[in-house]
This record gives sequence, C-alpha cells and structure tokens, in this order.
Amino acid sequence: MANEGNPGDFSILTNNPLVESRLKGRGAWSVDYRPELSLREILVAARDKVYAGHTLYTHPLSGSVKPNETPYKSVIISVEPHGINDDFAVMIASAIETFDKLKDFKREYNDRVLKDFQLIDYTLICGAIGFDALSGLSNK
Amino acid sequence: MKLELGYIQIKDIQFSKECKVENGTLYVDPEAVKDFMYQDDDVKTWVKDFSFDIARPGESVRITPVKDVIEPRVKVEGPGAQFPGVIAKVDTVGSGKTHVLRGMAVVTAGKIVGFQEGLIDMTGPAADYTYFSKLNNFVVVAEPAEGYEDHKHEYEHAVRIAGLRAAVYLGELGRNLTPDETAEFETFGIMEGKEKFPELPRVAYVHMLQSQGLLHDTYVYGVDAKRSLTTIIYPTETMDGAIISGNCVSACDKNTTYHHQNNPVVAELFAQHGKKLNYVCNIITNENVYLADKMRSSDWTAKLCRLLDLDGVIISQEGFGNPDTDLIMNTKKIEQQGIKTTIITDEYAGQDGKSQSLADADPLADAVVTGGNANQNIVLPPMDKVIGTLDYVDIIAGGHAGSLRPDGSIEAEIQIITGATNEMGFGLLSAR
Repeated sequence: MANEGNPGDFSILTNNPLVESRLKGRGAWSVDYRPELSLREILVAARDKVYAGHTLYTHPLSGSVKPNETPYKSVIISVEPHGINDDFAVMIASAIETFDKLKDFKREYNDRVLKDFQLIDYTLICGAIGFDALSGLSNK
Repeated sequence: MKLELGYIQIKDIQFSKECKVENGTLYVDPEAVKDFMYQDDDVKTWVKDFSFDIARPGESVRITPVKDVIEPRVKVEGPGAQFPGVIAKVDTVGSGKTHVLRGMAVVTAGKIVGFQEGLIDMTGPAADYTYFSKLNNFVVVAEPAEGYEDHKHEYEHAVRIAGLRAAVYLGELGRNLTPDETAEFETFGIMEGKEKFPELPRVAYVHMLQSQGLLHDTYVYGVDAKRSLTTIIYPTETMDGAIISGNCVSACDKNTTYHHQNNPVVAELFAQHGKKLNYVCNIITNENVYLADKMRSSDWTAKLCRLLDLDGVIISQEGFGNPDTDLIMNTKKIEQQGIKTTIITDEYAGQDGKSQSLADADPLADAVVTGGNANQNIVLPPMDKVIGTLDYVDIIAGGHAGSLRPDGSIEAEIQIITGATNEMGFGLLSAR
C-alpha cells in the first residue's frame, strides 16, 4: 500500500490520450485512462472518489483554459482511500459547479486544436508530478 | 533600494531607415530590430520570419492573437540591465536610473497553439476595455519554423525571447535622451522603515504569479516561478524588468510583461508610501497545480507576513479557477495571523453575472476589489485592418462557434480582450 503523497499513490484520472501515451509506465504512478468520459464526467468520477475518501492531489480546475473550451482533463487522485477530507470535497464539488455555470459554446475543433489542448493538459499534469514534459514528448 | 524612472513620452512611431527618438516620435528600422532578435539562437531555430506593423490609438486596426505586451526601457545608471536572467546577466535590478519609452509598447502576436487568444482593437467598443488600445504599438508578428508543431515549448520560448529583445533594442534608443519627466521610488530596510514611519501601518503586496505549465508561466530573474518557494522582492525590482510573463492563456486576466513593469498596486502603494502607510516590500508566490505546493506556498506567504510584522496586505492573483484556491488559501492564512487583507481578482460570474464569481471562497476573504466579469458579452464591429490572423476567433476564450460573423464583426465575451479584466486592477472598468 502506497503512502499518501508518494508517487506510487498517484492515480492520474484522464480522458487525454497524450497523458495516457506519455505517462503510462513512466513512473510509479498509474494512469486511469477513460477516453469515453467528457470533461464533466471526469470531474464527477473524481468527485465520487474524493467522496469515498480518496485524496485529491491536483486542482480540478488546473489551467486557465476554461473547462467549457478544452475537452480534456487530468486529475490526480490517490490509489488508496486515506479518509474523507472536507477541503477536497468542497474543491471538487465547486469545480463541477464552475463548469456548469459556464456557457456551452458548442465549438467543434479540428485535430490540430485538439492536439494543442491535449498538450496543455499534459504539461500541467507533468508539472504536478515533477515529470519533465519536454523529455516525455521526445522519448517515444 | 531607490530607483529613478525617467519617462520619455512617445507620441508616434514611424518606420524609417534609421532608429532614433526625435521630438516624441520613435523612428524604427524593422530590419535592425529583426537582426537583433535573430542574434538569439533559439529565435534563429524556431522563428522562420517576423513581420512588423504599427498600430496607433484611434486607427481601425485589430491585433490578434496577442502573446505579450512589453514596455521598452533601458538601464542608464546603476547595476543590471533589462530582463535580468533572461536577456541581461542576472545582476540585481531595481536601483539607479532607468529610462522608459512611455506611451508605447512592443506587442508580440502570431500563432503558437490552435486556440491562441487575445485581441487589441485600436478603436471601437473594445478600445474602452483595455489600456493597450491607448498606446502606440509596435507589433511583431512571428511565423514559426517548419516542424514547430512538435516543439511548442521551444517555440513559445523563442517568441517570448524575441519580444523581450525587440523591447530591449527599442529601449536602448532612449539611453541618451533627457526624460520629459522623472519620478523616484524607494523602500527601506525593515528597521529603517520602522524608524522613519513609526506611526504608519506596515503594508506589503502579495503578488501571485501564474505558474502552472506551458503557456501558464512567469519567470523571476529567469527562474520559472513554479520551482521557487515564496520569497521577498523589492517593488522597484519588479518595475525594472525582474519579472516577465510566459503566460499566453486567458487574455483578459493574464499579466503581461507590461503589467509587471507597470504594476498598478506597486504604483498606488508607492503613492501612499510615507503618507498613509509604510510600503514594506512585495512578496512573490506561485500558483501551482499540485495541491501540496499550494499548501506549502500559502503557509510560506503567511509566515513571511508575520515575520515582517505587517499590518495589512494587498493580494492579487492571475488566471482562472485553480489560482482562486491559492488566493483564498493565502488570504485565509494571512488573516489568521491577525493581518488585514484586501484581494484583487476578476470574476467569471456567467454571462448574466448571477453565478458565483470565484471557484473558491472563505468568510475571512471579505474585502475584495473586482476587475470585472470576464463572461460579459460584447459585440465588436469589423476593423479595416487585421494584424495577425482572425483564424482563431471562433475558438479562443470568450469566443464561440459563429463568433466571427461574415461581416468581420465578433460576438464574444470580454475575456477575448487582452487586459480587459486585469487582476492587478490595471483596467478601465470602474463602478465610479
């Protein structure tokens, strides 16, 4: 059983294929890749884990790219439950509230734009786990 | 530490074969600027070409997508030079004399990512929302080298450096001029300040720096702020180019390099320094994604505030969502030390303004100044000329499918406008 705060306890919940392809098997963390989930559904899945006592390791509203703009989201949750934490519960719930208040702009993106959104989400999560995003991209 | 700023008013910019400032007009040879930018190896590698333009207040011109805005300055006396640790050597800046080309800016534009954002209109309704519409802008549009798609980090870096180098080159033209106006700014050592102003409340500025990752970074003397612990900096250092922006996301509330150079919180605290308050220092702290970093940085901020025996603190943030948590953590922990706080932010309160403004809140954060609601809707008429490209308008923050109408007008939220709801309070929106 991994200790709280140890990378072995990091489960990266993500719908971002770049995070899956670049971070899976590249450290002690695990990647819970859920391509079928929307950004909101990722937040809800994270919330359910946090409500079940898992630790929230990264901010669910990471990045200034708004949740109604990018389709991608990665959130790090503990593999093991370490007990319910009020602050984490409030943070994840208010992230969903924030998502819901923003207008649905009904945008359609081409592949290039989608790749850029993936890249931003990937670098944000790399910063959180202390992984060199650049070298992760170059070592295929 | 004492800094004298000498302001040289720039009333116009003209292309010329010669580079000089004469009677308030900046004459620029774009080829000379280009040569200077290309002296950097990264610029050489990643930027295929630059094009240049001039945008003056009142002209029917739209600049988009905007990356950074920078004020040209030059150190004429004392240690260091512009943008230490990035362009110049890492010597401490913030003392001596610096000349400022006032009334103008270098604006870098061009695509980096496919949702690149931010626009500056030089006339029309959007010009009422950003101070950058009131400046004479020397616009540098960068075109990426082949293969940059797989090297966005390197390309962003190259464009950032290119913009700073353009500003350094133009600032140098003000070195031997006599400023139209000068002003002095000085803060004191801890004991010295207490002796000078024994009766005045001790106030500091907690300056939160965006530090989440690619397109979300800030550099202090060249150090990526996400890799630094909370620390103390003289206010005059920030006025002298110690902090630069690598943040390209969320146009309305990103702090460009120009904002750091001309931080209005610093300006106002100096205006009251020795009168209503004793301006002690700035505390710089980051906004990381990892929650343990947020805990550590906000603990550190509160510790420093206590160590400095402060009575009051102004706190500003940068960005959307995640930084709200740092903002509230900082505020709560500083208040718990018995120190009064006032925060500056902007709001994402929905298009009708009725939703919760921030992603976080606390009863101790009860003194708030807003820069405006970024979700407010606006229609921008077409401009005669576009510098850059309109390719991204439908997909940038605040734009939506169909934002760009067939006639060239744009319906969007004001978050599309660079600097519209700035969270240092460097804005034109007011309830007054």
